[in-house]
Amino acid sequence: MSEDFNDNKTIQAQSSETISGEGVRGVAPDKDYVRPAEVADQDLYHGHSFITKWIFCQDAKVIGVQYFLLATFTGIIGLILSWLMRLQLGFPGAAGFMTAEHYYQFVTMHGMIMVVYFLTALFLGGFGNYLIPLMVGARDMVFPYVNMVSFWMFFVAVGVLLASFFVPGGPTGSGWTLYPPQAILEGTPGSGMGIILMCVSLILFVAGFTMGGLNYLITVLQARTRGMTLMRMPLTVWGIFTATVLAMLAFPALLVSALMMTLDKVLATSFFMPTILKAGEVLEYGGGTPILFQHLFWFFGHPEVYIVALPAFGIVSDLISVHSRKNIFGYRMMVWAIVIIGALSFFVWAHHMYVSGMHPWFGFFFATTTLIIAVPTAMKVYNWILTLWKGNIRLNTVMLWCLGFIVTFVNGGITGIFLGNVTVDVPLSDTYFVVAHFHMVMGIAPLMVIMGAVYHWFPLVAGRMLSEKLGKLHFWITFLGAYSIYFPMHYLGFIGVPRRYFEMYNSPYITSAVGVNEFISMAAFLVGAAQFILIYNIIVSLRMGKPAGKNPWQANSLEWLTPTVPPEHGNWGDKLPVIHRWPYDYSVPGAKDDFIPQTTPPSEVAGTEVEKT
Amino acid sequence: MSEIKKEQTTTHKIGIYLWIWGLLFVLSFFSYMVDWYQFQGLLRWSLILLFMFLKAGLIMAFFMHLFWERYALVNVLLWPMTAIACFVGLMVAEGKYTLFSRLFYFFVGGQ
Amino acid sequence: MSEPKIEGYKFKPGYSGMAADTASDQTMFKGVHWGKAMMWIFLLSDTFIFSCFLISYMKGRGSTPEEWPNPSEVFALNAFGVPVPLLLIAIMTFVLITSSGTMALAVKYGYERNRKMCGWLILATALGGLTFVGMQAFEWSKLIHEGVRPWENPFGAPQFGSFFFMITGFHGTHVSIGVIFLFIYAYKTFAGHYDEGKRGWFTSMKGDYVEIEILGLYWHFVDLVWVFIFAFFYLW
Ligand code: HEM
Ligand SMILES: [Cu+2]
Repeated sequence: MSEDFNDNKTIQAQSSETISGEGVRGVAPDKDYVRPAEVADQDLYHGHSFITKWIFCQDAKVIGVQYFLLATFTGIIGLILSWLMRLQLGFPGAAGFMTAEHYYQFVTMHGMIMVVYFLTALFLGGFGNYLIPLMVGARDMVFPYVNMVSFWMFFVAVGVLLASFFVPGGPTGSGWTLYPPQAILEGTPGSGMGIILMCVSLILFVAGFTMGGLNYLITVLQARTRGMTLMRMPLTVWGIFTATVLAMLAFPALLVSALMMTLDKVLATSFFMPTILKAGEVLEYGGGTPILFQHLFWFFGHPEVYIVALPAFGIVSDLISVHSRKNIFGYRMMVWAIVIIGALSFFVWAHHMYVSGMHPWFGFFFATTTLIIAVPTAMKVYNWILTLWKGNIRLNTVMLWCLGFIVTFVNGGITGIFLGNVTVDVPLSDTYFVVAHFHMVMGIAPLMVIMGAVYHWFPLVAGRMLSEKLGKLHFWITFLGAYSIYFPMHYLGFIGVPRRYFEMYNSPYITSAVGVNEFISMAAFLVGAAQFILIYNIIVSLRMGKPAGKNPWQANSLEWLTPTVPPEHGNWGDKLPVIHRWPYDYSVPGAKDDFIPQTTPPSEVAGTEVEKT
Repeated sequence: MSEIKKEQTTTHKIGIYLWIWGLLFVLSFFSYMVDWYQFQGLLRWSLILLFMFLKAGLIMAFFMHLFWERYALVNVLLWPMTAIACFVGLMVAEGKYTLFSRLFYFFVGGQ
Repeated sequence: MSEPKIEGYKFKPGYSGMAADTASDQTMFKGVHWGKAMMWIFLLSDTFIFSCFLISYMKGRGSTPEEWPNPSEVFALNAFGVPVPLLLIAIMTFVLITSSGTMALAVKYGYERNRKMCGWLILATALGGLTFVGMQAFEWSKLIHEGVRPWENPFGAPQFGSFFFMITGFHGTHVSIGVIFLFIYAYKTFAGHYDEGKRGWFTSMKGDYVEIEILGLYWHFVDLVWVFIFAFFYLW
């Protein structure tokens, strides 16, 4: 990291004797030399019919949009479920049909949909597919066919998940953590078909994701264009890449636990099932260990948090840099922080289990590792702020979302430090404090980044700009509204309101929170409704938005430099781009423009103080 | 990609494969003998693990060519195993603790 | 396998080579075919799956107060009237290692563009795999016959049956998938797809003998997992 503080970090780009100023094509001076291609150009399958072009399509960009749309669709279902829950919590009994069983089922499906089928699919499947090949200068993902199958597996997984709403007993109501033994015992809603379909859907999701994930990883590792080193990749790619690594190593634990739970349910094995007395009778189960499930689940579950967070970190870094016209502060530090956070995330899982009755000594280990992760995370926050510092900030919608992200993320991060300490967590565990924490840090914060990313890259995908006016309206309602929802929840947690409760009835210490709950619910309705502003904005702008032209944000990274905007299948026309620099050369002293695209050879920017990358 | 590989790839002498093959048989035989002679306790465990890791190492190093691969690949493949090692270690402790609490609360405490 | 020549790139050995490869453009694994890189990463992920299985087994076995059956008795087989401990398992191990050896040689002959030899060795590997699956089916039916079920076990802790069927079943599935692919690849080898660079069925990549190595990686991995299952399931 001493690189970042090296005095000689800028170089005077030299021009060769014969060429001054602009480089001349064909007579490339030495400085501009880039090694020839190692790998032959990729042959692509070009679809001809509607079906091969838009449905079973092998173009990563189309697959990305497909992922995006399907994930958004499931996300909206998750949103509607949250509305129903908030209706019940704020105004008990107002949703007439809602029983406690329904509430459990909605909590569970909401949590699982939001974390896995919405955020994970959207960041990795959606943004990953669209952006990775473009940003590293590849024609497509390395295995387009497998990539296509990946999406359709996801499609089936979503289908199976939603099917569980219509089976006898309904979807599972065991909470998104699906803890056994209650998840599969009678008395828990959806303990029949519901939980089986949930497990099957998760297994399908993991299988499908693995196919996509292999594509993302190998594309980044083995299919970059000439001149594109790992340390010249945009942080977006770094974030998605590292998150994919985590997914490839964490999903196995989910797969295994889902499989074992299915067997417990279907074959009456007792992997997770201890001896259970029910109404004086011993059930057929016995000898299993429920805590094993928790370990497996969180060995997946904690990295999952970072699977959602790391792409958000990466994307927001790029957005902040572009829209404050400054290079990202401490690029290498940012990369290392992402990698270190990713690695450490496999050593902290049991901080979710402080009250589970695990080995008492584990608390020491996991509290320590958890607090260590805070260090690289804090470094990232400082670097975002230092990137903004004295930047030429464009306070447009994208930038607003980025600022909103920083605020909510810091807020959620700080409560995370509370919860990472055993003694503080024990009383706060399973209260609304936890709900507030994880919604701030992995619900709202990544959501803000998604919104920012949509406003940023919509012009690339659609060729038209989104309306700024509607965008700002959308932002302010969402930001202030989300704060109104989750900030008071910290207080609810402190006074002891438990999580996952259908109703508080007349518990004296909780009746004091009635007003707060009503307020939160109103805010929740408003925020949810505000999201339809975005949908309206998208639909209208698709037809009537201002034409974006090429590179509307004056960005440096490759995705804006394709010969046609929006990019076509194969991305680059006949010739792959050649990269000469990182994507953060903004406001370089001495340069003609305030940005130097990655493809600009050194000879064209002679005499400027560009970073050595 | 395929274009480049078109030239003959240099391969290794057949002898080395036969050697490894033989060694694997011998090591498997040894681990079988651990059971045959019913070694117990620490000796049994160290022998089982020793032969296991030797066999695994040979397969990975020579049959899967890791020995000849560049360090970039080898390191990418081996470092993640630290997470597994951590998981294993902790679950050993956890298993013992669960057993302890079961015996303590259900048998000792129950009486 | 061995270092290819890459124009304009100088290979360095050891860790400085690792640093140079990682810092270079285009590829991190120099000269490694996309498919091979993908197979390696997939196997890494699969390792985590099997590790989770074995860890669960260890935790489950470690925390059950009931007695765990003694594997060398449960898996003993009568040979000429004498019970020989782990006899079948020993033979299965032998078969699997044999098939691993033939696979390694198939890869070698593939790279030497010895089509016939490569094809026959793949077929031999497939037959080894088939034998293994057959013996596993025999072992399963024997245990089922003796009353062991995923949910119960006359010899002690019911988890014995659960873990046994689940883990060997998962491994056996891997073997079976491998066998299917071995047959397909044997066909493709004999048909000369790798010599002509014929494109695959679902990919626009040209066929190449590297595919044999990729398949080999998978097959050796199946063998590798068996090493661990053998140690933890049958010897513990
Ligand atoms: C408008 C936005 C949202 C609202 C109003 C909302 C509301 C809620 C409510 C009321 C609960 C139930 C709390 C309880 O009874 O214990 C909940 C749980 C949860 N939410 Fe959200 N949520 C929103 C967005 C999200 C997002 C974007 C995520 C993605 C990470 C998310 C993840 C979860 C999780 C993981 C749970 C826990 C489920 C469980 O306890 O099993 N939520 N949410
Ligand atoms: Cu966590």
